[in-house]
Amino acid sequence: MQFLAPSTIAIAAALSIPPLVALYFLKLKRNVRVVPSTLLWKRSVEDLHVNSPFQRLRSSLLLLLQLLVLVAGAIALGRPMFQTAQAQETTNVILIDNSASMAVVEADGRTRLDEAKEQAKRVVDNMSDEAQAMVIAFCDRATVESSFDSDKAALKRKIDSIEQTQSSSTLSEAISLAEAYAQNQVIGGEDLGSDVAPESAAPDASVFLFTDGRVEDTDEVAVEKFDVGRMRVVNVGKRMDNVAIVSMDARRRYEQPEILEVTALVQNFDAEPRNFDAVLYVDGQTVDVQSVSLASGLPSEGAPDAASGRAPVGSIRTVAFDNIEFGGSGTVEVALRIDDALSTDNRAWTIIPPPRRVSVLLVYDANPFFNPLDATLRVLPIELKTMTPDQYEAADDKVLTDGRRSAFDVVVFDQHSTDRLSQGSYLFFGGTPQIDGVTAEGIVDDEVIFNWDETHPVLRHVAVEAVEVFQWRRLRLPPEAVSIVDGASSPVLAYLARGPSQYLIGAFGLIVKDKDGDFRYNTYWVHNADFIVFTYNAIQFLASNIATSGTMVARPGQPVTVPVPADADTVVIRRPDGSTDKVAAPSRQTLQYARTRHVGVYEVSPAVPGHGVFAVNLFNPTESRIEPVPALTLGAGEVSTLAASIQVNKPAWPYILIALLAVLVLEWVVYNQRVFV
Amino acid sequence: MTTYTSDNPSLLDPEFMARLDQLSLVSRKIFAGKMRGERITKRRGESVEFADYRNYVMGDDLRFLDWNIYARLERLFIKLFLQEEDLHVSVLIDVSRSMNWGRPDKGLYARKIAAAIAYIGLINFDRVSLYGYANGLQYELAGVRGRRLMFKAIEFLTRLEYNGASNLAATGKQFAIRHPQPGIVLILSDFFEKGGYEDGLRMLLSRRYDLYAIQVLSPEEIEPDLVGDLKLTDVEDDDTAEVTVGRALLNRYKQNLRAYCEQFKEFCTRRGIAYLFTSTEVPFDQIVLSYFRRRGLLK
Repeated sequence: MQFLAPSTIAIAAALSIPPLVALYFLKLKRNVRVVPSTLLWKRSVEDLHVNSPFQRLRSSLLLLLQLLVLVAGAIALGRPMFQTAQAQETTNVILIDNSASMAVVEADGRTRLDEAKEQAKRVVDNMSDEAQAMVIAFCDRATVESSFDSDKAALKRKIDSIEQTQSSSTLSEAISLAEAYAQNQVIGGEDLGSDVAPESAAPDASVFLFTDGRVEDTDEVAVEKFDVGRMRVVNVGKRMDNVAIVSMDARRRYEQPEILEVTALVQNFDAEPRNFDAVLYVDGQTVDVQSVSLASGLPSEGAPDAASGRAPVGSIRTVAFDNIEFGGSGTVEVALRIDDALSTDNRAWTIIPPPRRVSVLLVYDANPFFNPLDATLRVLPIELKTMTPDQYEAADDKVLTDGRRSAFDVVVFDQHSTDRLSQGSYLFFGGTPQIDGVTAEGIVDDEVIFNWDETHPVLRHVAVEAVEVFQWRRLRLPPEAVSIVDGASSPVLAYLARGPSQYLIGAFGLIVKDKDGDFRYNTYWVHNADFIVFTYNAIQFLASNIATSGTMVARPGQPVTVPVPADADTVVIRRPDGSTDKVAAPSRQTLQYARTRHVGVYEVSPAVPGHGVFAVNLFNPTESRIEPVPALTLGAGEVSTLAASIQVNKPAWPYILIALLAVLVLEWVVYNQRVFV
Repeated sequence: MTTYTSDNPSLLDPEFMARLDQLSLVSRKIFAGKMRGERITKRRGESVEFADYRNYVMGDDLRFLDWNIYARLERLFIKLFLQEEDLHVSVLIDVSRSMNWGRPDKGLYARKIAAAIAYIGLINFDRVSLYGYANGLQYELAGVRGRRLMFKAIEFLTRLEYNGASNLAATGKQFAIRHPQPGIVLILSDFFEKGGYEDGLRMLLSRRYDLYAIQVLSPEEIEPDLVGDLKLTDVEDDDTAEVTVGRALLNRYKQNLRAYCEQFKEFCTRRGIAYLFTSTEVPFDQIVLSYFRRRGLLK
């Protein structure tokens, strides 16, 4: 039994009991009645006194009963609670997971988030009046819904206001935030001049974590200030039947841009095998339906992959839809016709730009020698334009730029360094972009290629070990540059992304002049098929990021960079739920839009052609695996999971009031039978 | 303060009186009266009704010798005749303040009974005495005889006033001293005597009266309608009792009342006193015409 308002008891008792006792000292005022004889009355009264074994008690019994009524009333005013829940600290931190997996509708028809809110509100209900709590909702980022507050109604309102998101869940930010707030609370609570150093003031807080346990960064969570022993995980959710699209790809054939290839990777997380249809929509029209059978998503016992955590064979499958001829731009959607616990991951979208060839500008000195770049680019399915360096530097802005962006998807410089670089993608061979931090000093001619990142997209299918480059310029690059191919002392090929522009810088020229002034090949690589592959990779890599794809696809919560027309001040973004956001466009002609917590298609208007739509897909196996994690292990250690749901301290005052009524009835009975003269 | 009195008491109505004409008082004991009356007494006397013979002794009145027997047997026998005598009927009415109470009024009820008894006595040439007593005899109409004095009796009964507390002991003593001759004595009272009714009745018993104790109670005394925290004041002596009347106390009161009446009845029965309990709710004529006849007071 605990009291939510213990001081009220004392006040109520002090106010009511002394007057009652005082009343008992006052003589009862009786009505005078005349009777023919008091003989029998007196005798009767005496008889009753004699016959009642408790006759001494009888007169004081009323006082006792009335005192009992007052005491019961005072106790009821103290709001006693039956202590069914665990005792709590005065400082409570409530962390509520509102990530995508919390949207699972459980058997009782409520979502996991509803359940978590319900239980969190019970924690609030259980708090004593002096206790305070803060509420943090966390998904891919943490939001302080309420800082420390002891107003229960406000806290519950804040808990109710937590919105379901479709993001992944990460906990470390939430824990850091809570620790910071709790720390402030402790420091703020100290008297000025206290000897307690702020660092040593560990917050004495109970942490309640309401989640289904599907947290991505459990290993990274560092609990520094809180006592892990005081952290309790309240596990919500039971269902595990879910099938999800974990990734999706829609691409045009490079050689036949009007042909669209759509694939989707679907995975079964349920213990039962599932059969269902996957439907392909293009701009809302059904285009293809594929039947999918997935094996059980739980590794069978003894299976070799049981311990590795890899999905069991057959539970994950790529669905390849029939190739479709699609010349325009539009939205491609894959939807699973299945009834499972989480519907967010049953649909995925991608945006298809109209087929168009990549436009490339090659800036090179036309020399009598065969230029391998020119030859290579000409065989690629691109729109190629060439210029000499002089022509480039002299060219009109209108030729080179479209607004502030480059008019070409990729500009390739052969042996030319320039600072005339509008926003765009640039490939340099033997030259450097004249931008901050990038310099080339001297020639390296006595080193070999030493190391390379073979996973980088531009080196796909490229045998770098066979490449021999005779000399290259000693590049000095800013720290954010990524070296792709290294010599012993300086990079040979590096990638630098800066703002909306990106640069792939090759320190070597393909054809160089030797000491005699004769042109010669700097590498024989240019005669190799690998060079064509490399160039193809490089163009595609540079172009795909902005120009060719246009398929702006993001994860929930990820900010999306939206290009905006040069003359647009504001952009209206229509969200998947139909609501619109009016966003001011900064002068940079792109804007970062971060309200992408919901999956679906977002429409931008006015838009740069080809950038009018972007899609947000869940694509998160961690969230799609909705089976609750029974034990949550954070970086600091295992956090105890509450086996049952949070018990509410049941209010005891209704029972006390019933007892009070009973005593009152008893008092009435005694009053009616009591006799004293 | 509530008093339950009727202002215009009509003690007897002519119709009822006509019905009383048929009745006469009967004593369970035959008394020797002072004057010759209409009743047969134990004493042999001079009536026309023969009783017995006995031998002549010297000094007997020669007028009662049976000469016919003497002629046949030559022995002297005296004829004995039954003597008829008058009957003393005394009615003691309690006029203490407690009798001026109840609805119907106990005092009026008692006076009506007294009037009826007096009427019956008077029309049968009995000697009727009426007394009002409280703390001793206070009102007296002694020894009236004959129907024509009925108006006196009515007037006396009408005149009675209630005052003081009843004291039966003092009253019994006083009455016994003043009335040595036997007769019927009716006591009309509630018999709520704080000093006890026993002494008074014993005084009266010593004179071998044919005693009738008629206890008159009002319905309010039998079934009190009191409830709550009360200060009860005794109408006679202003004694007070602070009570909280609840079910338990009411039950106890009724139990005590029953026990008190039983005890009183027992006391009377043991000593040959005729006891009669009545509530003023019971119609008065029913008491007189039916109840008294059943108990043998009237025939």
